[in-house]
Amino acid sequence: MTDDVHSLIGAYVLDALDDIDRAAFDRHLRDCDVCRLEADELFEVTARLADGAWSVPPPRLRDNVMAEITNTRQLPPAIPPRPQQRSRRGLRLVAAAAAVVTAAGAAGVVYQIQDQRVRETQSRLEAARASEARVRSILGAPDVQTRSEQLKSGGQVTVASSRLQNAGVILLAADSAPGPGRVYQMWTIQAGAPASAGALGVGQAAAVQVVEGLPGMSNVGVTIENAPSSATPTAPLDALVNLA
Amino acid sequence: MAEHGIGDRPEYLTPVPAQETVPDAGLLLAAVARGEEKAFGRLYDLVAPRVYGLVRRVLRNPAQAEEVAQEVLVEVWRTATRWDPQRGSATAWIFMIAHRRAVDRVRAEQAAGDRTVRAGVASVDTPYDEVADEVAVRLERQQVRHCLDVLTEVQRQAVTLAFYQGHSYPQVSELLRVPLPTIKSRMRDGLIRLRDCLTPEVAA
Repeated sequence: MTDDVHSLIGAYVLDALDDIDRAAFDRHLRDCDVCRLEADELFEVTARLADGAWSVPPPRLRDNVMAEITNTRQLPPAIPPRPQQRSRRGLRLVAAAAAVVTAAGAAGVVYQIQDQRVRETQSRLEAARASEARVRSILGAPDVQTRSEQLKSGGQVTVASSRLQNAGVILLAADSAPGPGRVYQMWTIQAGAPASAGALGVGQAAAVQVVEGLPGMSNVGVTIENAPSSATPTAPLDALVNLA
Repeated sequence: MAEHGIGDRPEYLTPVPAQETVPDAGLLLAAVARGEEKAFGRLYDLVAPRVYGLVRRVLRNPAQAEEVAQEVLVEVWRTATRWDPQRGSATAWIFMIAHRRAVDRVRAEQAAGDRTVRAGVASVDTPYDEVADEVAVRLERQQVRHCLDVLTEVQRQAVTLAFYQGHSYPQVSELLRVPLPTIKSRMRDGLIRLRDCLTPEVAA
């Protein structure tokens, strides 16, 4: 298991991991001094690769940066010994979560993932940045547990759940989007009763979804439904992840 | 010394004051951590072209690159107190932040289904003929290029597609039509080989 995680070190240093793998690798580094040394060494190598990309920025960048720092408070130094130090290299989540709409309310809220083709890229990116922090806090929780299942239609669903955060993240990565007019939909199941955890847009094959209160649920299911979404899950399930 | 040839422009060597040495990024960053704005200005001059160049190379969009470079440089100011010299050089720490921010932006756009591919628009690198330590930089670039040539084809592609294009390793695997586990190990092996090539021999 450790070897398996450790084999990701090159991809980690090159920032080529997705959120879940990155979080797993950060935890791995926390427990392994030798691995941290190796990662630090390889970061020095990538710094040399950066040397090859020299380009003089527009002069206004300097003015803008200098102006902004006068209004930016510096973080206090990290006093606790080692675990804190790593946060700088720590979770920096890819906003693969761009499709996620942040949960505004309590557990069980149904949030619809926005249609991919909504024009306002900007607002999506902002939503992504807001949810990124939440995703990061969940994936970075010390008690986070991840479980994966294959989708029958091809691909994988991974659920990361933290009791401390009382929340979880569903990462759906299908090999391809379902047929025309059909969408992936995610469900949480509690005491045998399903509730929608959001549906993807037509043509969409991947999503990152925050679910508040997830540790209280028994299962996460994935179905393929008629667009835009269904009120109840249609059998057969494409995947069922057992959280118990 | 006669290393022309990378660019298409003549090489001007800006007259460099005789004993003006290149400031040390580590000393500057340590001063920045103590809140010294002047030191930050000098650090900016030292690293901004590389930060901007790297971010721009990954994003391929000068406007976005400027925005992300600004975020990165302000982040350097804000978190300078967290840099741990025992763990790595100041420049490695700064480029790590820069690269990750750039890749985050790429992924965010991909997830939003709106990867604006604007390669080619004003993508010619800004000339760096005003840069004081140009010769050193050029030699450095040459060494990196030489060392990249030492890698096997798959190692080199795996490393550069991830680093310069911001592709994830499954994307690299898809692009190169090489299985995932192989890509993982090529990335690692490639970086290790690069390290061995770039690290100066220790005199016995």
